Amino acid sequence: MVASDLVVQSVANGLLLGGIYALAALGLSLVFGIMDVVNLAHGHMLMVGAYIAILIFAATGITPLVGMFLAIALMFGFGVLLQKVLLQHVVDEGLEQPIIVLFGLALVLQNVGRILLGGDARTADLGIPGNGFDLGFVFLSLPRTVTFVVSVLLIVATWALLQYTKTGQAIRATAQNRTAAKYMGIDTDRIYVITLGIGTALAGAAGALLSMIFPIDPYVGWSYLLTTFAVVVLGGVGSVLGTLVGGLVIGVSENLGALFLGGGYRNVVSLLIFLGVLLVRPQGLFGSGGGS
Amino acid sequence: MARDDTIPRRTYLKGAGATGTVALAGLAGCTLGGGGDGGGDGGGDSGGDGGGETDTGGATTSGGDADPLTIAATVPETGAFSSLGQDLMRGYELGVERMNQNLDRDVELILRDDESDAQVVREQLQTIVSNNDVNMIWGSFSSLLVTAGSAFAENQNLPFFGVAFAYEAPHRNNNYEWTFAPFPKSRDVARSTLGTLELIPEENRPSNIGIWEPNSGWGEEQADYWEETLSDAGYNVVLREVFEIGSSDFSTLISQSQSAEVEVLLSNPTPPGGITAVNQMQSNNWSPQMLKFVRAADPTAWWSALGQKGAYALMCPGWVPGLTGNGNAALRESYNATYENDSQYLPVIVGGAYNLTQTAEQAVSAAGSVAPDAVRNALLDTEFETVIGNFTFEDNGLPTEGELTSPVGQWWDGVQRLAYPDTDSERALDFRFPIPPWSER
Repeated sequence: MVASDLVVQSVANGLLLGGIYALAALGLSLVFGIMDVVNLAHGHMLMVGAYIAILIFAATGITPLVGMFLAIALMFGFGVLLQKVLLQHVVDEGLEQPIIVLFGLALVLQNVGRILLGGDARTADLGIPGNGFDLGFVFLSLPRTVTFVVSVLLIVATWALLQYTKTGQAIRATAQNRTAAKYMGIDTDRIYVITLGIGTALAGAAGALLSMIFPIDPYVGWSYLLTTFAVVVLGGVGSVLGTLVGGLVIGVSENLGALFLGGGYRNVVSLLIFLGVLLVRPQGLFGSGGGS
Repeated sequence: MARDDTIPRRTYLKGAGATGTVALAGLAGCTLGGGGDGGGDGGGDSGGDGGGETDTGGATTSGGDADPLTIAATVPETGAFSSLGQDLMRGYELGVERMNQNLDRDVELILRDDESDAQVVREQLQTIVSNNDVNMIWGSFSSLLVTAGSAFAENQNLPFFGVAFAYEAPHRNNNYEWTFAPFPKSRDVARSTLGTLELIPEENRPSNIGIWEPNSGWGEEQADYWEETLSDAGYNVVLREVFEIGSSDFSTLISQSQSAEVEVLLSNPTPPGGITAVNQMQSNNWSPQMLKFVRAADPTAWWSALGQKGAYALMCPGWVPGLTGNGNAALRESYNATYENDSQYLPVIVGGAYNLTQTAEQAVSAAGSVAPDAVRNALLDTEFETVIGNFTFEDNGLPTEGELTSPVGQWWDGVQRLAYPDTDSERALDFRFPIPPWSER
């Protein structure tokens, strides 16, 4: 019999973790929903963002909360460059060619990381004194709480960008119907460039935040790719709200799975949810086949 | 042991060489590998630990043939265990230097990076053995990589030596003929855990034991030994939970440990996993009174990653600064001379690796030959005296039960020092207990 306080603590830990899962998955969801591109390098982009924050922290002691902004800027530039140099030539050639290009990119990022930084796992510290917040019935770890809050803020900011700016409207229009958007005078090639830039920047931000909680090594991309895919499928492709809910559900289910079934089954639970949603509701909880 | 029908490369090379020799010299026959009886005395000091320690470093004299000794080895220079690769390599190199001085034969070590990958271990060893007349194989780090190397050695009928290899089951289940582990095993780790607890005055001694069990064969074996040994001694195992090797989220285990009021936490995670676990203990504001992370707390990366957060942690790396006799002083002197160091506290893996080289040297010396059969027979018949202690081998390559104490090291002020057993060395320390709460650290 599992004590109720353990269940409450596990749910709290899962929710905090789910926030960052949602941020990590948001970029994947947007790129998939708007460009119809399955970004197999998304987890490795997250790894690069994490290393940017870790290296800044190691060299200067600056917290990854600040390093995150440099990660966002650099990864946005990387995404723009990636679209202009590589993807724009294959993005209209069907689903397979971009997948092959991005799979190759994932391998390149992994091996460049290994050569430049070695295979050792590294982490960064939050850099803020204190352990967390003891609320009596539950303890909230400081790094996880901070990353959760920052993740939710970034998700809300992304939603506001898509909802209330001209660029956001153009992105949503392109997602709904690219041809019609072109006829309405929207530069859809530019929108694709911006979309991949945003998606890559979000991965970089998530990586920077994750570096304060989990160890990062050059091989970590694949496991985060799997987790973010589960979140996207659960929440619905292209849905910001769905991604947030999907992240929280996956985070909580992983923690409860570890509690009730044992640590060895932590990832099995999220994979079962992933497969179950694919069978029962392929468009996800909030998915409609369109953009946000 | 199951044998395949392929002729080992080494045998082929020997045979071809012998045939060529016969053809050229017109000899009637040729024998490989001298029989001569070994003259090894395996002498080590039994003295103290002071500056004037007389320490032979286990010097041996070799009788029999003078064939060169060629050793194949892999070390994890990259990958998950890379933080230990350099120390393992240094222990081997110092040992080979000593062997070249002590044995009446040339000793050559051929080293390759195994990338912390069992498959690469096999590939690298295959390459070395295919291109050289190898006489023995030295293992890598961790049960995962060592068992990969030992499987290859068993197939090639070559003596294999492995340290950082506490897992016992392969010795019993794989019908080992050629694999020898001069290293404390799971049962020894459990006994030394009990010994460490008994250093604590009875009125302050904790009773609640928590075991985090990695989902691996060795994880289960070590957890079984801990549970059995400590339960029999009257301790309460209040938590035993399995976790996935490679897991980076220990929050559930930490919550469970806190809820079960675990006072002594025992586990054998990987080094990155152990470091992550301690970071998450701090961020979840929980700490046991005593923490033993076998293998995870071995590398110096533990302190460079955790700093003071890593203090108090215990480990069982096979060798710890503070052990005395059997070549410990010679090891320290040669390490500091070779690597321009003046530390009194050598990395623990160096000592474990150096002990392996002493075992190999004493076996070759006792055999008086580098012939695999002769070396194996010597391994089964000789009492070894190395920097980790005195021991013999059982038929399956395990050190004979009860002969080896698994020394327990503790991280303190950035170095690992011997906490158990008690010695009179200034490099040992009084066991630091209990671990204070995070708010007081």
